[in-house]
Amino acid sequence: MKPAPEWLGELQARFGEVLRTPLDRSTGTLAAATSSYAPEALGDVVDGPATSGRDRLAVYNRQYWFRLFRALATAFPITARVVGPWDFNEHASRFLLARPPRGWDLERVPDGFDAFLERSLEGHADGDLILEAARLDATWRRLTRAPTTRPFRPDASAAATMPDARLTPSEATAVVVERWPLMGLARSSTRIDRSELPRLPQPRFWALAREATGIRRWALEPREGELLLLLQRYRVRDALARLEASCTAEERAALPAKVERWLAHGAERGLWSGVRG
Amino acid sequence: MTIARDALGVGLRPSLHAYVVEHRPDVGYLEVISESLMGPSPLPRERLERVRAHYPVVLHGVGLNLLGHAPLDEDYLDALCRLADAVDAPFVTDHLCWTGAHGVSHHDLLPVPYVPELVEVAAERAAYVQRRLGRPFGVENLSSYVELRRSTMTEWEFYAAVVREAGCWALLDVNNVYVSSVNHGFDPEQYLDAVDFSRVLQVHLAGHTREPDGTLVDTHDHPVADDVWSLYRRAWRMGGPFPTMLEWDDRIPPMPELLAQLDRARAVRA
Repeated sequence: MKPAPEWLGELQARFGEVLRTPLDRSTGTLAAATSSYAPEALGDVVDGPATSGRDRLAVYNRQYWFRLFRALATAFPITARVVGPWDFNEHASRFLLARPPRGWDLERVPDGFDAFLERSLEGHADGDLILEAARLDATWRRLTRAPTTRPFRPDASAAATMPDARLTPSEATAVVVERWPLMGLARSSTRIDRSELPRLPQPRFWALAREATGIRRWALEPREGELLLLLQRYRVRDALARLEASCTAEERAALPAKVERWLAHGAERGLWSGVRG
Repeated sequence: MTIARDALGVGLRPSLHAYVVEHRPDVGYLEVISESLMGPSPLPRERLERVRAHYPVVLHGVGLNLLGHAPLDEDYLDALCRLADAVDAPFVTDHLCWTGAHGVSHHDLLPVPYVPELVEVAAERAAYVQRRLGRPFGVENLSSYVELRRSTMTEWEFYAAVVREAGCWALLDVNNVYVSSVNHGFDPEQYLDAVDFSRVLQVHLAGHTREPDGTLVDTHDHPVADDVWSLYRRAWRMGGPFPTMLEWDDRIPPMPELLAQLDRARAVRA
């Protein structure tokens, strides 16, 4: 096929620079910094009936940023609510300047935002809270993209070998720990005040699983959550031993029945896709 | 599944899925954003499967980058072809624009200078896409906010020439014609006069927003404006019937409100 002319590439490079010109925050709103546009880019466009070429380019400049801010806020809804729109967009701007979108898939633009925040929030007063929010969002995103896997449902014959086996977590599931009351925030977009987010007296554990209609979540008992996390790292026998070691005598007495129930729930919820070893 | 020539459809967006599954509204077809089904998440594809048996589904893309400086992205095209086969799309459409250059994607539909040299480039690429897809491929006219000094043709001359030389189809967005006509000060009826309606695969309708400085922005977040209905009526009289699709992408109301817009389309063309 005939290649596009060189001048088109040059024009698109100038136009692209205009689009990616950071918005000006100095007035307390996000405004196009039209004085930053290169004269060569301004020379490419003509004035309209009612607005200058510069102002017409500003429409695209604003659209570029707001579309991407929205993509990031959609992908990281809990983080966006915890941080608030003004600061969220500032984080998003810095992320997007460092990593401009490279492909056709808008949904991939937020990839790596959680890791970016982890690097950039060192020493931030609310860093732990924001990072927990970002990790929850990232987990949610991971699950929505996970392939559908056949759940592992152990039968009676597996009982003998199970203690020495490692359960393989299903890619479409996750166990998460919540230290602030963040989990419910993704379902609403109203502003949240930082004072509404006190640290929880005890961490809460959740199991998440992607199902046909979306992501389903189950609140877990604390020891159940601990066990499921241990099972991600150890053989069943070792995970149980470690859990038992951390329990009180009273808890230990009730543990066998509870463990049986928790493992059955885990299997029902499709938390594992198989066993190894 | 085929689409009736006078069919009325809606853009299927995630917030509308539950209603469509439960109520099976009386629409002639559904349009989905191609890229929403080409990403890694299986959820959109699984959701679509629940409605696909009941409606023809056409694909509308925003990422082809037909007029980017770089050659067409063959990986993207491979994925699009697989998707079109998978959903048995009666046709596929995208825009007469560029979306990225020099490795950066801007995720916006951006205009090029309207010059004969780019008619050739666009037509050759559009013809190639249509061959690859093995089904009708339509290019959509843009709404634009800027005109480029280098242009030597009107937008409608450029658009008509690309469709003609490519042997592809036109997805005529009447709202885009109106938005651009206000922003650039041309007569939208003159634009319609240049359209070869025998090559119109589909017509889009959508709402727009007026900025404080008078610029119209193609936001797809309002009902269709009265002036756009008037233009649609004119298009229908000039070249109807053609399949018509209502796009609503932001602040999407409940489905009955969208269906009421389709009722208005029926009334406008009666």
